[in-house]
Amino acid sequence: MSIQFKTIRELREMLDEKAISSEELTNETHKLAEDLKYLNCFVTMNKDASIEKSKLIDQADNNKSVLSGIPLAQKDLFCTEGLRTTCSSKILSNFIPPYTATAVLKLESAGSITIGKTNMDEFAMGSSNETSYFGNVHNPWKKGYVPGGSSGGSAAAVAAGIVPAATGTDTGGSIRQPAAHCGITGIKPTYGRVSRWGMIAFASSLDQAGPLARSAEDCAILLNEMSGYDSKDTTSLDIESTDLLHTINQPIKGLKIGIVKEFSLGDLDSEVQNRFEDSKKLYETLGAEFVEISLPNISASVPTYYSIAPAECSSNLSRFDGVRFGYRADNTGDLNDLYIKSRSEGFGDEVKRRILIGTYALSAGYYDAYYKKAQQVRRLIKNDFELAFETIDLIMTPTSPGTAFAFGSKGAQNPIELYLEDLFTISSNLAGLPAISIPHGKVNSMPAGLQLIGNFLREDQILNAAHIFQQNSAFHFDKPSMEEF
Amino acid sequence: MDQETVRTICYLARLQIDEDKAQKIESDLETIIEMIGGLQAFDTENIQPLYSPLEKTAFMHEDIENSDNQKEKFLQNAAASNEDYFLVPRVVE
Amino acid sequence: MAWETVIGIETHVQLSTKTKLFSRASTEFGKSPNTNVNLIDCGLPGVLPSVNKEAFYKAIRFGLAVGAKINQTSIFDRKNYFYADLPKGYQITQMDLPIVLGGTIDIETDKGIKTINITRAHLEEDAGKSIHDQFDGYSAIDLNRAGTPLLEIVSEPEISNAKEAVAYMKAMHQLVTYLDVSDGNMSQGSLRCDANVSVRKEGDPELGTRTEIKNINSFRFVEKAINFEVKRQIKQLENGETVTQETRLYDSVKDETRPMRSKEFANDYRYFPEPDLLPVVISDKEMQDIKDSFPELAKEKEKRFAKDFGLSEYDAQILASSKIMADFFERSAKETKNYALLANWLIGEISAFLNKDAIEINQSKLTPSNLAMLINRIDDQTISGKIGKSIFEEMYESGSSPDKIIESQGLEQISDDGAIEAIISTIIQDNPSQVEAYLGGKEKLFGFFVGQVMKITEGKANPQSVNTILKEKLK
Repeated sequence: MSIQFKTIRELREMLDEKAISSEELTNETHKLAEDLKYLNCFVTMNKDASIEKSKLIDQADNNKSVLSGIPLAQKDLFCTEGLRTTCSSKILSNFIPPYTATAVLKLESAGSITIGKTNMDEFAMGSSNETSYFGNVHNPWKKGYVPGGSSGGSAAAVAAGIVPAATGTDTGGSIRQPAAHCGITGIKPTYGRVSRWGMIAFASSLDQAGPLARSAEDCAILLNEMSGYDSKDTTSLDIESTDLLHTINQPIKGLKIGIVKEFSLGDLDSEVQNRFEDSKKLYETLGAEFVEISLPNISASVPTYYSIAPAECSSNLSRFDGVRFGYRADNTGDLNDLYIKSRSEGFGDEVKRRILIGTYALSAGYYDAYYKKAQQVRRLIKNDFELAFETIDLIMTPTSPGTAFAFGSKGAQNPIELYLEDLFTISSNLAGLPAISIPHGKVNSMPAGLQLIGNFLREDQILNAAHIFQQNSAFHFDKPSMEEF
Repeated sequence: MDQETVRTICYLARLQIDEDKAQKIESDLETIIEMIGGLQAFDTENIQPLYSPLEKTAFMHEDIENSDNQKEKFLQNAAASNEDYFLVPRVVE
Repeated sequence: MAWETVIGIETHVQLSTKTKLFSRASTEFGKSPNTNVNLIDCGLPGVLPSVNKEAFYKAIRFGLAVGAKINQTSIFDRKNYFYADLPKGYQITQMDLPIVLGGTIDIETDKGIKTINITRAHLEEDAGKSIHDQFDGYSAIDLNRAGTPLLEIVSEPEISNAKEAVAYMKAMHQLVTYLDVSDGNMSQGSLRCDANVSVRKEGDPELGTRTEIKNINSFRFVEKAINFEVKRQIKQLENGETVTQETRLYDSVKDETRPMRSKEFANDYRYFPEPDLLPVVISDKEMQDIKDSFPELAKEKEKRFAKDFGLSEYDAQILASSKIMADFFERSAKETKNYALLANWLIGEISAFLNKDAIEINQSKLTPSNLAMLINRIDDQTISGKIGKSIFEEMYESGSSPDKIIESQGLEQISDDGAIEAIISTIIQDNPSQVEAYLGGKEKLFGFFVGQVMKITEGKANPQSVNTILKEKLK
């Protein structure tokens, strides 16, 4: 029985009815991953340990929780004890962490099986998964096209039906945008909802972990497990956890959805606009009301993000110095030479670019004009959202101004081209708000995503709105033909 | 961005740019810096910087020992180490 | 040409918390390398810091003791630079909003009490240790110390000479030990002194270029290093040269300062607020709790010792000047009533021995009980004061108790009048010419007879009894 493209619910049913054992499911998943290895979704497979665990799960008699025996892929940004963790970088190509990230630990404790570590943009810096040391990931919908980034491997693994769900991380759109480009669902929770312990840091005040899956419901299942206060991450929120599935079916009549005036959707590709209008109409038939809102400072999002994220990352990546772990260059002279050679040989170009920008933005004489200024504008953006949310429940945008593109066709000449891919997603990272992307049709035969941004801690609301949309449409059932692979 | 600034930033970040890539990276940096310079157009007088999206204060822990030391594993991960120390090329003070 | 010296001191105080500032690894000194290192202290990818509240409480106690302003809301910043013993490539410190602002410390100078103003004090994490000369061609990194809480205390540049600098460091030492904020041990590195030294012509309002001297690890070296540096700078300026602003190391073997190589390139630390740590807010209740549990400081202890133990002001002051000595005294005083004698021994004989070995009393083999026992045995005349001294030496060497030593060496004082009388009779019989000379007026010969008694009794005869009986018999 084919397991490809199955959802968590479907696999749960198969396991509970003993149509397939956990061990068989795990083996089948590995076989699928092997068959589809051209996609290049995975950096490291966890074959032996995953099969061992599946055997134990089969042997256990107790009531199986919803994730018990479900195969998941983990983005290679999460530390996994004993299993290589690379961030798709040469500088960590041999790093075996001595501990596991909390978010992954929680999913594993809930019974899920880690199949392998997925490919990504190096250190999560990118929007196309073209900066990986281990090579590009293919979009399962079209060979030679990007899956989006930075969680490209996770998105492709889910879109290709290898695993029902995967973890990703989102600093400027890195869960939502690849989910959109690959025709699946992905959610970035409220900042602080999921512990960052063990999540290799890119930009500390922007990073969040979240799930990618075939539906909003499956995302809710994963997010339920991943969320929660962790004393090891003092930026995680100490609040009561709610069951996101509990309210997911609520009717959305009367839901107020804001359309951001300043996003000038009228300037976008006409097909993108059409998809957006179609979705708007669907929501209206489901009882939602649309309101035009203003986020006056929203045009500052991209420059704000590209001041703050590189600054924080330039500091976070200083620990990669060749001394205690990671790549150390050969034939180095003194200590400084060791640093310079190891880091220069170990990091890719995009990472270097961002470290240099960040170093510049923090340096004496420039700090006030760039870093501090950006953090001030950040507050303006957050305030705009707070004001807007007084009159609406959520905000709707296209996830991305475009769809997946051919390898090398964007950003080679001008890096800003790729940065603008994040236009609609970035602001929710700056303000710490939750946001979800769901598939809502095709643009020029490639998947397009619809984004819903919620108020602080209102994952329940955006999951509910997304789920109701999916109950009344079939876009999330679309599957790539995979013939080329 | 003048050469001196680029050199300084590269040194602070302990990065060396290959000769053949230097031109492109420098022009990329200039482009990006110009883009983020656009922030100057926004009025931020009397606005407090927002360093974290959370309006929360730190949780502090008790002064009680809880070791998660794994000396061997830590040292094993290093490119150069012996059974007790991480090793680097000798530093002269 | 008259020159004026301007000195500002940065003191790094290692706080005596059980665990580190941002992790729960132990801070215990002297452990095997890289064992007091948690994931966080190793700076591994994905780790995050968490704040140790005790470190804040100790910092606040210091702030209150020096009359400073406490910033109940303070933040942490990152100081970015590369060095082998700095695992994350940045140090978490406090830049813009430190926990303590202002305050004063009084020092004793030969011109009286001088008040030195404190600019600020902040919390930061310590770096690891590099060992440069143990492995051929390599420097070895031990991260045990990485992450230990430090309180960096910055003084205003109001110290005028090396002696004042020493007085300042001594006052700092007394304060932090009394407050139970640190064990203040300079040689072990829990109290560190960086001196910023500059000179200018007397009367010149402008400050001269200053150099920073690091690696001074004893009070004695504070004085020597500063004196050397002042001389060096004056010489340079008198030769028409300029003083270079730089960081210099003090070499105690050569008694000189020299430029520090790793600080050659001016560093831009790119401070920015630590995004992994939210602002720390100390509640009013926590502030009150800290005030309520304030330990007794030196001056109070001095007064209490004089009052409760009937000690002279002088003795009380000396004992109270060191918390370790004061604590020892108090514990010993629980087991003996002769406080004056106890104080005497501590201030005199015992201090001499400790100074010779350059250790604190709690690092010696002496125990408060044993010392009390010694005092009691002298007090109750089991032994003479003189024998007491040799017993003490044995106690100091071996850690043995006085009673054991007295027993094993048979040192009990002979107080039996009968026995003494018998011995004296023998001596009188054996030394007729001396007896005659004494009775003839040579009073100094009394000492001879006493000496003879002591010789025969190996010093154990009770001196008072000897005197009394001898006087009787030599009539």
